Amino acid sequence: MDSSTWIKILGYIITPITAFVVGVTYGGIVRVITARVQNRFGPPITQNFWDIIKLYSKKTAVHHGLMQHWGPIFAITASVTSLFFIPVLKDSPLWLNNSFNGDIIFLLYMMVFGSLGMALGAGQTGNPNSAIGVARGLALMVGYEVPFVLALVAIMIQFKTTSIAELMAVQDGFSNWLIFQSPFAFIAAILAFLGMMHYAPFDVTFAPAEIASGPASEFGGKYLALMQTSGSIFTFAKLVLFTDIFLGGAGDLVTLIVKTFLLYMIPVLTGIVNPRYRTEQAITFFWKWPTVFGIIAILIVVL
Amino acid sequence: MISVPVILSVMFLGGVLAWLANRFVPKGASWTAAIIAAFAGYLVFALPSCGGEYSLALGSITLVWKSTNYSALFAMLVAVLGFLGILYSMDFMAGKKNLGYYYMNFLFALGAMLGIVYSQDLVSLFFFWEVMTWSSFMLVIYSGEEKSHKAGIKYFAYSAIGAYLILSAIVILYAQSNSFLLSENIKMFSGMSLGTQIMVISFLALGFGVKSAMMPLHVWAPEAYKESPSGFTAVFSGALSKMGIFGLGLVIFKFAANTEIFGYVRETLAWLGGLTAMLATFYAVIQSDAKKLLAYSSIGQLGYIIVGLALGTPLGIMAALFLTIMHGAFKAMLFMTAGAVYMRTGTTSLNDVSGLITKMPLTFLTALFGIISVSGIPPLGGFISKWMLYQALLETNHYFLIIVIFIASTAAFLYLYRFIFSFFLGQKEKEVEHVKEVPWSMLVPMMFLTLFVLFAGLFPGVILDPIGKAMGYLGNFKASWEPQVVFSAWGEKINMQVIAGTIGTIFILGALFIGYKNKKATRVVSTKDIHTAGEIPTENENLTYAVNFNQPFERAIAPILKWSVDKLFNLLGENLESTFEYLRYVYTGNGQTYAMYVILMVVILILFSGSIFGIHL
Repeated sequence: MDSSTWIKILGYIITPITAFVVGVTYGGIVRVITARVQNRFGPPITQNFWDIIKLYSKKTAVHHGLMQHWGPIFAITASVTSLFFIPVLKDSPLWLNNSFNGDIIFLLYMMVFGSLGMALGAGQTGNPNSAIGVARGLALMVGYEVPFVLALVAIMIQFKTTSIAELMAVQDGFSNWLIFQSPFAFIAAILAFLGMMHYAPFDVTFAPAEIASGPASEFGGKYLALMQTSGSIFTFAKLVLFTDIFLGGAGDLVTLIVKTFLLYMIPVLTGIVNPRYRTEQAITFFWKWPTVFGIIAILIVVL
Repeated sequence: MISVPVILSVMFLGGVLAWLANRFVPKGASWTAAIIAAFAGYLVFALPSCGGEYSLALGSITLVWKSTNYSALFAMLVAVLGFLGILYSMDFMAGKKNLGYYYMNFLFALGAMLGIVYSQDLVSLFFFWEVMTWSSFMLVIYSGEEKSHKAGIKYFAYSAIGAYLILSAIVILYAQSNSFLLSENIKMFSGMSLGTQIMVISFLALGFGVKSAMMPLHVWAPEAYKESPSGFTAVFSGALSKMGIFGLGLVIFKFAANTEIFGYVRETLAWLGGLTAMLATFYAVIQSDAKKLLAYSSIGQLGYIIVGLALGTPLGIMAALFLTIMHGAFKAMLFMTAGAVYMRTGTTSLNDVSGLITKMPLTFLTALFGIISVSGIPPLGGFISKWMLYQALLETNHYFLIIVIFIASTAAFLYLYRFIFSFFLGQKEKEVEHVKEVPWSMLVPMMFLTLFVLFAGLFPGVILDPIGKAMGYLGNFKASWEPQVVFSAWGEKINMQVIAGTIGTIFILGALFIGYKNKKATRVVSTKDIHTAGEIPTENENLTYAVNFNQPFERAIAPILKWSVDKLFNLLGENLESTFEYLRYVYTGNGQTYAMYVILMVVILILFSGSIFGIHL
């Protein structure tokens, strides 16, 4: 095997590990920030690592059947596969992975794969709270998908491409970032992003105080650990996707982390100070102003 | 030498044979029908995809039957689904009454569908179209219950309207071209007057639109699908509704393509298809009966197909035809699953059954692959058609239509999850203790289709080959693909090998990780043994969450749902009834009044002997 193959293999190993570390660290930081806003001291930033390591070492005593085993596997499959099809860093063979074999439309569907798999796993446990959470989550998805797709369509028709790598290529230089080139698309997409990240006011799916964490409620031990791992990787994947599309991507890891962190703070800070919507309110929220912004974004490109 | 009449006579004579067999041999009908369908299926595949021509002169009318690349595609779909449907019926229908009647009409319907796709003249097209409607109507009313009669009459009324529209179009064409041959009419169509063109195209599109359940002509579909026996519903939704698509393809690319109004026709159909897809999906979300849910889903999916055809780009047509095949497979799978559940539990209501996964694992697997394929999640076949459709919408600048399609496609997760959750997941109740897996003759067709959707996702190129040839018949359309890679007009590609490889590898790694030492460490517990915050549910406590499953979404779309075409038509019907009351004053039943009408009519004809609608009579 020549060196490029080795670089590729190394990339497949490094990318998910980086995503995991960054994602979990972000999770820890969010816990600290939330605590400070609520006038608490909060756990150390590394707390989420210890939680996940502890969960991995635990044994699971009971299960409800095959789909419950498969649920977390589906979730991790979806998040790692999505990550592999997103170019993490610009023009770096180590971080490109499979990104030239799929595109934005593929990613839109790939990202749902995990939710549906999780939903199936949660469904088999028979816990009514899980089912309620799933019904809410899928309904919410129809809500935020509308402005998100409007924003993406606006960008895709503007540059006549659905490939993320090509979208990164057109954003050379600070002023060419798509956040400045098509601001309305960015607004629509970032509002959809609020729903996508499941922070308040859109945390209807997991709503701990209401439906006992919904879909996750029957999972413990390494199932929960796998789900949290997948969640962290998925968060990172979504952040990188947004950075690639709107913030010009990143040439090195430091830039990437700065950009993704700033982006991540938008849903987090919104979430801390907000109560929860009812599901139908959440859906109709996305169908009002965010959709209008998305339509404006398309009209600007067309006219 | 295999030719079209051989295939058709095998089907129709076979139908009679099955009916006769039922009289003399117990179980004779199902075996005869299965053998006939298998044989006819073999003949369809053995028939050269371009040839097998046969013509028959009946007085001044010449009937021509021939296989083209386009008809071969649909014929294969009909043959495969037909055979699987009959195979499935063998045990599904076992012990029911009137089996001879069932299999005869089933085979007649299959024969008529093959007749439609092979017809090269308008007379035999219309004849087979009517045979298809009749035989499928017979199967809708099969159960003989009040509800099925109602559904049947509704189906028949709409089909009759469609058929008359098609007949009028044929008459208009004949008046202009003096020929019933399809090729002649296509050749002369561009030379006809604009008024004629508009009339013919809209009549044909509406007529074919009824069968493909295009909104607002879809109202017959949910009840007809629900009432027909599941073995046939699989064919009904999978293949029979595709006859409408077959016809629409001809209308768009053979008739409308050479006229000035080509663009308008395509835009209208594209938007009708898009709205059909979205509204039908919304209706599917609020259904609580599995077969009705699947019926609305079917309407929605046919909407996508119409959109793809109407876009008129190579990628759009390819998406539409690929989805035609895929939809045939996955909707047949889901209807068969619903039928299997019905056979074992006696209901298709999503509120009444739950927790069947451990009882019917293979049926569950079929349903799982079915819903993954319908929702378009990679790496199964459904994804490729969705991807091509979106790329086609983007390249043709349909910015808002793509949003409509996206909403439909995302909302589909809601009903698909509800379908699989309500039947197979959730609380396992005592009522399903006795349930067993369905017999092998039903599992074989379901498993075959499951493998097919998987195969179609991994090697789309194999299925795109006959589709590419069919596109060559419709016009000079070229799209590029490799066995595992599909390209778009913008130069994007998806490599299914890489996608499936990645997904497969990570899934296996995850399974190894979860499975490691897990078998002995964990034990299975009942669905009552769950986290309920300290409250221990008793044996008889009902924890099933099924009724109004999608209520949050229902509330959000309530303003849209207020508006129902069915209600509109019913209102129209009531008003028409009162209008017809007035007609009694005209039809008095008195001979002298009628004589006066005849005289009046003659006077009018003499006065206006010129033309009506620009057509010389």
